[in-house]
Parts: sequence; structure tokens; C-alpha cells
Amino acid sequence: MNIILAEIKKSYKILLAYPVEIAFWIFSPLLWAVPLVFQGKALIGGLSSEKFGEIAGTPDFIPYVLIGAIISTYMASSVWSMGFAMRDETFYGTLEHILSAPVKPVYILLGKAIFNSFLATTYVIIQLGICIIIFGLKITLYKIVPIVFFLILLIAGLYGIGFAAAGLTLLVKEAHGLLHLFEYILFLFSPIRYPVEINPITKAISVIIPLTYALIALRGLLLNIRFDFWKNSLILIGIDLIIIPLGLYIFSWVDRHTRQKGTLGEY
Amino acid sequence: MTNDIIIKNLVKVFKKHHSEVRAVDGVSFEIKEGELFGLLGPNGAGKTTLIKCISTLLIPDKGTAIVGGCDVLKDPLGVRKKIGVLTGGERTLYWKLNAVDNLKYFAALYGVPSNRVKERIDFLLELMDLKERANENVEKFSSGMKQKLAIARALIHNPPILLIDEPTLGLDPYFARFIRRFIKEELSIKLKKTILLTTHYMDEADELCDRVAFMNRGRVEALDTPEKLKKAMPQEQVLELKCLGDLNKEDFVQLKESVSLNISKQDGYHYLRFNTDNPEVLLSKLVDMIRDRAKILSVQVTSPTLEDVFVYLTGTSLKESQDE
Repeated sequence: MNIILAEIKKSYKILLAYPVEIAFWIFSPLLWAVPLVFQGKALIGGLSSEKFGEIAGTPDFIPYVLIGAIISTYMASSVWSMGFAMRDETFYGTLEHILSAPVKPVYILLGKAIFNSFLATTYVIIQLGICIIIFGLKITLYKIVPIVFFLILLIAGLYGIGFAAAGLTLLVKEAHGLLHLFEYILFLFSPIRYPVEINPITKAISVIIPLTYALIALRGLLLNIRFDFWKNSLILIGIDLIIIPLGLYIFSWVDRHTRQKGTLGEY
Repeated sequence: MTNDIIIKNLVKVFKKHHSEVRAVDGVSFEIKEGELFGLLGPNGAGKTTLIKCISTLLIPDKGTAIVGGCDVLKDPLGVRKKIGVLTGGERTLYWKLNAVDNLKYFAALYGVPSNRVKERIDFLLELMDLKERANENVEKFSSGMKQKLAIARALIHNPPILLIDEPTLGLDPYFARFIRRFIKEELSIKLKKTILLTTHYMDEADELCDRVAFMNRGRVEALDTPEKLKKAMPQEQVLELKCLGDLNKEDFVQLKESVSLNISKQDGYHYLRFNTDNPEVLLSKLVDMIRDRAKILSVQVTSPTLEDVFVYLTGTSLKESQDE
């Protein structure tokens, strides 16, 4: 527990030294959502479409896109922040010193993951505030307990992805391209920007991505759209139970592999 | 006295594409409790690879090392509790954090009990003379101060064994002298730590170490106290010449007296070091040999250094070994 707390404190203090980074993470999801809003408006001649409603469960395009953008902050956090969490230590020159400490590296990674979740949640709250004020987003927060419940399930699943991404960046070194590809795949096959039901292939692949169920549930709770609570929560729990051990296994394998190959501290 | 570090036939091979490098090639030796042991050799000799195997950052391909009673293969976490690691170079700390925050973080990582962290940090900052700068970000520190803080970090959990890799690399002479004195007087004599020190500065090892091992191309070429290694040289004296002109090692092959020659070039001057029993006779021959090609600027007769021993054992100077 001490290690996780120390990691959170350290990461927080280092982040404060880079205020531009904070602004980037707050505004970038909104910046990519706004053109989508305009695009939708240009396509359907307004902000609401019955046809869109038949597939997405709500005819209102703006709230659908904005909530997708805001929740995708957690995805970006797991892919990029967790993915580069150990890699950053190489840039600082401290990786070998933390990996020669008498602690399993996964605890250090867990500390970084929890810090990133707190950070992403802070960003999400600020983004929601901006969307409510500027875009007139109307959300219902009275179902706060199920919202937090689904967020926890989502974040836990994304930890699995983040652990694997952290391992991947230790292995591949220059992993920007690979992580971008990974992120684009998640964007394509989960209902962040559009309802995946529009295409049979995206619909079929989306069933194995935790974001799909979390977005259905969170949009349902925030926008009062009907959804199957138990089905979505049980599937998410099931995916989490597979993806977290898998992510941990990948990270531990890479840790051992790089210690064997001698590429741990290489850049 | 027990052995704190036992290295048993350790092998580490790096494979890249179709070639392989035997960075550590069957190394075995022991380091006694409280001993200051030096691992010497040129860059690429395998010193850092060996220290990384001992610190569990690398997994050996064959053999093993027992550190503080723990096997690096079977109990890496046990090994890490017993060791403190200090490396050369500036970037080993969080520059955006201050000295106290750096030490607090590593104290948590190394399992220092929460109620002892403040006392330990205060003691180490006082010891390293960093108390006044404790709350300044590390990025404002000089190279020497960063290395002092890195020492404090290595000592944060008061480990019995220290692995010190090229501690004075890139430091100015003042701080290099401070670090050397600190390692000898404070860490070795006063705190009685078992220390494995790697360096390619022969003078540093000569000054500090109880025993030294020469490493070259992944193997230990010789191991003993600096005095015994120097006494084992067949020639008791070294003739050193400073020359200006065009000289090569091949120019001196016919000299039977020079069992080993170390020739180096610095600031446009050639420095020639010959191990010999008869410096006067050798000097007269040399004067005849190089009269037409170089001017002798100074002549000195000295005792052999560890570098002379290295040249004698390997047939190459440190610089030549590095360049290969």
C-alpha cells in the first residue's frame, strides 16, 4: 500500500511540473468531439435524427458524441499514460533503480494506474462541466451509484489493457505507432463516436471490448436511455476477469524477457 | 569472515541478429563481508553487465550469484533487499522533484518503515551535506550534488551491500575526489559496507580497493590485492617518456626488454610507458631508435601502476581495449 501511495504522490508532483500536459488531456477529447458535432449537423441538417435514434437509442447526436468523447478519456489514459508509465522512467533515467528495488514491478505499475484513474476522473468531471456550460449537455446524475459502479468496471478492464500496453512499450521501445493503431482499433470497434450496430463487422467485434458495455450503460444512465443493467454489468465483470490477469501476465512476461535479453534500460 | 557475494561461473550472452557477444564469460569470485572490491577493465569488458546480473536487472544465462545469502535466480526480491545500487551519470533521479521527495519515494520503494523515513532522510542529507538544498528541485543541482543525492538514495534502506558502477564518471576533479574519499572512509571503513565497485579508472581502484579483479572481454584476467598484482610484474620499474613526433607501437617490437608497452597520445604528445628492469639501458636504446622521428621532452622512472599490470596481462592498454 505504501508503494502505491508513494507512486501516486510522486506522479502527482511530477505532473504539476508540466501544466501544458494537464490542459492537453482536458481539452483534446473535446477538440476532437466538436468537429464530429458539426459533421453530424451538416449531414442531417440538425442536431437530432430519428434514424440515428433507432440505432443509438437517442435521437440527440450531440450528447451521444460528447459522452463518448468524455468516457474515451479513460481509454486514452490506459493506452497512453499507463502504456508510457514505465517508459517514462527510462526517460527520467530511473527505470533501473525502481526495478532493482525489493518490490514486484506490478505494484509500481498499479500505483501509476490508480493515479491515472484519479487524474482521468478529474479530467472527466471538468469536461462534463464544460459540456454542460458550453454545449448545454443535459445529464442525470441522480443514479450516481450505478454510474460509479460501471466506471469502476470500465477502469478495471482498462487496467488490463494498460498493463499490457506498459509491457509492450518496454518491449518495442518506440511504441507510439503501435499504441496509435491500438487506440484507433478501440475507436473503430467500440461505440465511442458512433453506434457500432451500423455495421455487422464492427458490431461483432465490439462485443469483446469492455468500452462497448460501459458506454451503453453510462450513456443509458446519463442520458436516460433504456439498457439492460444486469447483462451489461455481468459481461463487463466477465471481460475484466479475463483481461486483468491477461494484462498482468503480459507485463510480467515482458519484464522477465527484457531482463533476459538485456534490453530493460535501452531506448 | 563470511562471503557477502559469491559469483559462480556466471555467463551472460547478448544475441543480436546473427551475432552474439559473450559479455560475461564464466566469471567466478567471492567478495568477503566488509570488503571493498574493485572490478576493473575498459568499457565493454563486462563489468556493468556483471553488476546488472548481481542486482537482478539481468538474468544470467548460466551460473548464478549469491548475494547476502540470496540466490539472484531463486530469490531476486531477497537480493534487492540486501543491496544498494549507485551508478554514474546524471540522470538517475527525478529532476522535477526535490531531494526530500526523491528520497521519500525510494524509501517507500525499499520498504523503510514509515516512522523511520524522516529520521533516515535527515541523517543522509546531513551526511551528504545537502541539508541546505533539501527542498530544491534536483534539476538545479550540479552533477556532483546529484551524485551525492544518488549515494543517499542507495543508502536509504541501509543495505549491507553496495554495488557501485563508475561512481565518478563525468564528475569534476573536486567532486570525484569527494566521492572517492566518501566511499573509502565513510562507506567502507566507518559503515563497514561490503562494496563492489566497477571503474575503468585504475588510479581510483588502486586508491580505494582491498582487492581488484581485472576484467577483459567478459573474463577475469587476474584477481588479487593491488600491491600483489603490481609485485607480480616481472619488471620492477616503469620508464615513461613524453615525446613529440610520429610514433607507433610497431616501431618498438624489436625491443626485447619491453615485455609490455603502453603508448598513448594526448594533446599532440606521445606518452610511452615501458616495463623494465633496466631503465638506463632501455633509455639509451630508445634515444637511438626515435632520434630521427621524435623529440623526447621528458623522462621519468616510476613504479608500476595497475594500468601497467593490465597492459602486461592483456597485451593492450585500456584505451586500445575500448577502441576494439
